[in-house]
Amino acid sequence: MMSLPVRNSDVGSRTPRSSTFLTGEWSVGTGVTRLGGRFLSRGRVALGALHWLSWIIVSPRSVVSGGVARELDTLGVGALRLVGSASILVGLIATFQVAYQLKQYGAESVSALAIGWFATREVGPLVVALLVVTRSASAIAGEFAAMTSGGEIDALRVMGLDPVKYLVAPKLAALFVALPALTVIADGFITFGGWVGTTLFLGFNSRFYLEQIRTSLSTSDIATGVAKSLIFGFVIAIIASDEGLSVDRRVTAIGEAASRAVVYCLLGVLAADTLVNAILYFIPALVL
Amino acid sequence: MPSSTSFPPSSSERALEVHHLTGPASAPIIFEIEIFVARGETLLVLGPIQSGKSMLMRHLVGLECAASGTIAVDGEAFDPTKPEDKALRRLRSRVGVLFEGSALLRRISVLENVELPLLEHEHSSRAHARDAARELLAEVGIQVDDDTMPVQLGRAGQRRVALARALALKPRLMLLDEPTLGLDSPAAHEFDETLHAVQKKYDFGIVIFSHEIRHAYTPANQIDVLAGGRIVARGTRESLLRSDDPVIHGLLHRRERE
Repeated sequence: MMSLPVRNSDVGSRTPRSSTFLTGEWSVGTGVTRLGGRFLSRGRVALGALHWLSWIIVSPRSVVSGGVARELDTLGVGALRLVGSASILVGLIATFQVAYQLKQYGAESVSALAIGWFATREVGPLVVALLVVTRSASAIAGEFAAMTSGGEIDALRVMGLDPVKYLVAPKLAALFVALPALTVIADGFITFGGWVGTTLFLGFNSRFYLEQIRTSLSTSDIATGVAKSLIFGFVIAIIASDEGLSVDRRVTAIGEAASRAVVYCLLGVLAADTLVNAILYFIPALVL
Repeated sequence: MPSSTSFPPSSSERALEVHHLTGPASAPIIFEIEIFVARGETLLVLGPIQSGKSMLMRHLVGLECAASGTIAVDGEAFDPTKPEDKALRRLRSRVGVLFEGSALLRRISVLENVELPLLEHEHSSRAHARDAARELLAEVGIQVDDDTMPVQLGRAGQRRVALARALALKPRLMLLDEPTLGLDSPAAHEFDETLHAVQKKYDFGIVIFSHEIRHAYTPANQIDVLAGGRIVARGTRESLLRSDDPVIHGLLHRRERE
């Protein structure tokens, strides 16, 4: 069996995160040092998680794989109702916004074209990622922070078990499956919301709406959205896990880790989205 | 420095040997620690809260980086100032640890908690690991269904499961941090009996880190008194009871006051 070395980073060098970012007690020197440490720590967690993820893929019957199913149920299936209902509302909002803008040019009738394209490429993956951040990032960080302060993480290390393998890799694997799946589902619900708005409030018929959606949707748009959701899943899993695993044993540490995880995951998802959009804009050949 | 009776122990087979341990490297709070435990013997590290007991235990399993000192487990030396991955793995495979509060993984079942080290280190099949886990749990007096979760057990039950998990890799040394903290008197007494029964069977050395004076009245071969991060006294319960040192007096005579 493959085994990742027990890293010396487990020993003593773990720097607990303080809440200075949230409380505003911040100076340039400490900020730069913390930022460096944070990136280093995230990098280590990310490399370890990717390593063990490949191990999960080649050893689907391993003890860790049971954890993936559990996480998939919590992070994916558990988010279905939230994603579904929020996506319908987003579809309605998009319909009204786009129709309002296009009305000025007398082009209200083509709003469904924009909804289909924008939903799959941008709104779908982004809305799903933001919903998963609010629902699960704090839960992941809180869970790991509670495990750290309760001694469970130390217990794993002492048994020679890598917490990244047993805790982070299953969450990453689950998010790699759940986020693209939720994104495709969200695309469907946003389109449904758009249909409700277009037919019920704007007065167009269903056939007209579906025709426009069919014209505007392309496989490459859906694939781009799914690719984005994979990146968002990675960002959420790594940041939330790292925040949870880096706490000290203060009573308030769990809440602080959960808050930090949400803040940094939101920033991380938006930064990743900006980067991907910029790359696709400047290098159009990369569009899937 | 300590008023020693039989220090270091004469046994040829030392489960733990610590010399001049000071740490952690970033900001030392334990200083010049010297402890010895032989296989089959029990050492009680007794000290008030915040005296450095848990920190000492964390050093012994490589969870903290020491400023100086040496540690040997089962005759194999380990440099706590520069813990190498290989040495850490070997060290941890020989040491069973029972953390304060049990530290069971709450999201997996009781049986899975005990199976985990077997599946990881002994590469046992699932069926074999499950049988072994059931046997270990039976040894510590626990019977559970496949899907019993740790939260379904009481505090005493969780402590026993943590003991079974610590026994999984047949350790040479068992470290217990406040093992009976929060247990009522009969449960604590039963836990002590179970611990010494498995010690007799597996012949490992035990180090108990506790502020509870009741451990001094269980068959510990030696008591080290830790205060302010230093071992301030060492001896048997009888020899320490005669001490005039106010810290030792305060700790050991608390039971009588209570």
